[in-house]
Amino acid sequence: MKTLIIGEIINNNLSSGTLEILNKTKSLDLDTQVITIGSDDNPSIGLDDYKQTYLKRQSNSLNLSKAVNKISEIIVNENISLILGSSTYMCRDIIAALSVDLNSSPVSNVVDFALESGHVSTVNSINGGESLYKTKINSDNALLLIRPKAFDPIEVNFNDTYETIDLDGSDLEVFDIFIEEKSGPQLEDSKVVISAGRGMVEKENLELIETLATKLNAAIGGTRAIVDAGWMPYSQQVGQTGKTVKPDVYIACGISGATQHQVGMKDSKFVIAINKDEEAPIFQLADLGIVGDTLSVIPKLNENI
Amino acid sequence: MKIAVCAKQIPDPANEITYNDGSIVRPEEQVLDDTDRYGIEVALQLKEKFDAEVTIISMGPSGTQKGLQQALQMGADKAIFVDDDSLKGANSLMTANVLSELAKSSFADIVIFGTESTDGYSGTVPQQVSRYLDLECISYVKAIEVDDSVTLTRQTVEGSEKLNMPEKCVISVTAGGVEPRYPNFKDIMAAKSKPIEQVSLSDLNISSNQNLEFIDIESVESSKSGDKIIDEGEAYQEIVNKLKELKVI
Ligand SMILES: Cc1cc2nc3c(=O)[nH]c(=O)nc-3n(C[C@H](O)[C@H](O)[C@H](O)COP(=O)(O)OP(=O)(O)OC[C@H]3O[C@@H](n4cnc5c(N)ncnc54)[C@H](O)[C@@H]3O)c2cc1C
Ligand SMILES: Nc1ncnc2c1ncn2[C@@H]1O[C@H](COP(=O)(O)O)[C@@H](O)[C@H]1O
Repeated sequence: MKTLIIGEIINNNLSSGTLEILNKTKSLDLDTQVITIGSDDNPSIGLDDYKQTYLKRQSNSLNLSKAVNKISEIIVNENISLILGSSTYMCRDIIAALSVDLNSSPVSNVVDFALESGHVSTVNSINGGESLYKTKINSDNALLLIRPKAFDPIEVNFNDTYETIDLDGSDLEVFDIFIEEKSGPQLEDSKVVISAGRGMVEKENLELIETLATKLNAAIGGTRAIVDAGWMPYSQQVGQTGKTVKPDVYIACGISGATQHQVGMKDSKFVIAINKDEEAPIFQLADLGIVGDTLSVIPKLNENI
Repeated sequence: MKIAVCAKQIPDPANEITYNDGSIVRPEEQVLDDTDRYGIEVALQLKEKFDAEVTIISMGPSGTQKGLQQALQMGADKAIFVDDDSLKGANSLMTANVLSELAKSSFADIVIFGTESTDGYSGTVPQQVSRYLDLECISYVKAIEVDDSVTLTRQTVEGSEKLNMPEKCVISVTAGGVEPRYPNFKDIMAAKSKPIEQVSLSDLNISSNQNLEFIDIESVESSKSGDKIIDEGEAYQEIVNKLKELKVI
């Protein structure tokens, strides 16, 4: 089946999400090519075994619709049936718009897919990951938005050979582009993640989490409640609308464990939860649950590690 | 300026969601999706500055219309909705198709969305509508400054960026960017006399179809029976021991 992956660039390389999907299409032996959208000058995204096309956007204008026009054209000209992308901001925008051009509703939050007698069938996560929903796609084109970490990333060599297509800008000028500084261990690839919730009581108390994170060489995450409250930038949100993490150890500090949070962390290998409410749903996921006050337990941890 | 805000009525999130034949079971009384309060708030801030008319547009079983009332109580001027049995279990594309037709019929310049609904969370409807309407979608807006012109701040993977709102566009608003207002008693009373109009599906130009066939739902067993320890001052030691065992320290 002719397959297209919408690729994304992070730090001048293909994103892990792109590589995860590539691994899956390889295991299904699909005839795969990648079209990557970005605005970097010379990203290292060429792939030894796959055709790569680079759609280069101008970073100072919002011209995703131009990218969509181009991709639609390629899909139709090359008779591509299966279109895949990560559930990230950009890929969601692109695949949603493509679905209108191709008159085929996409499936979101996909955690697995297969081919069955010429049809694509998908498994997607619903209800914040409490249930799995199986669908058969009956249209000529199948469009899938894949949850990060659904598959392991492929190991590939990158090269500099790919075709670049320069996209025109649009009238919508973008300014004050702000790139968040990334320092210390990153959520996606840390072995230990410590996350904070409203049960840290006040923003100032996040210092306790920072101290612990430094001691354990851990990345710091948070719930949407505290991201919305401005305690932490969005890039650190764990959950349905934030990042998906799978560390060896996940320490949930003052987090109730709403399904939308769980879906982003429940595949962690070992979960430690600290919450003063014995009935908090997070304890259903915890390998070690401490019913106690974060503001008393964490300082003692910091003193004793 | 005419503004349409797409807002959904959903089963009260305090209750467990149940499914029948792949579709969410919707009680008579549904509430306004909290996610949509952010979009409505943005619309109302624009209304205050530019004297805009704000129409709520919605698709799905209308029932007691409580959710629509809640949207009107916040300060929207009127609501229009489509409620048709054939739309039960509508996929995201069909939903977008219906909403874009409603946006057209209300002559909206600006069409505003949440980023994902609480019950369905496909997260694709705003961009699909923008494509149907042939407008740019300024997605994931997390802040708005209303002056003589309007500046929108978009969340991006790496940080953020700003744009000036054009005369016509689609906007999706993330939760948390703005503070949705709470209606007071006067607002609640005023909402009762605002128009709510049902539009017939047959009056709309629908070209999408149900290409997704439901096969099965399976629940995921995720509970673990880990140790639960009540802290009496020394529970931190359990964590330290565990971290040593796991070779984190
Ligand atoms: C469409 C949608 C998408 C969402 N996406 C996400 C997402 O991506 N990520 C996410 O996290 N959420 C998401 N949410 C929100 C989610 O539903 C919850 O509201 C959120 O996760 C709650 O965060 P919290 O646990 O910090 O706060 P709360 O639910 O308020 O829980 C705080 C907990 O702290 C405990 N506590 C309080 N004080 C102390 C103390 N001193 N010591 C110990 N414990 C204490 C309390 O017992 C409580 O259990 C989403 C919601 C919707 C509708
Ligand atoms: N049935 C509906 N009626 C009105 N608005 C909707 C409907 N479904 C989705 N939306 C809008 O689209 C946004 C994204 O929804 P979704 O694609 O379901 O995650 C929501 O926040 C709403 O603004």
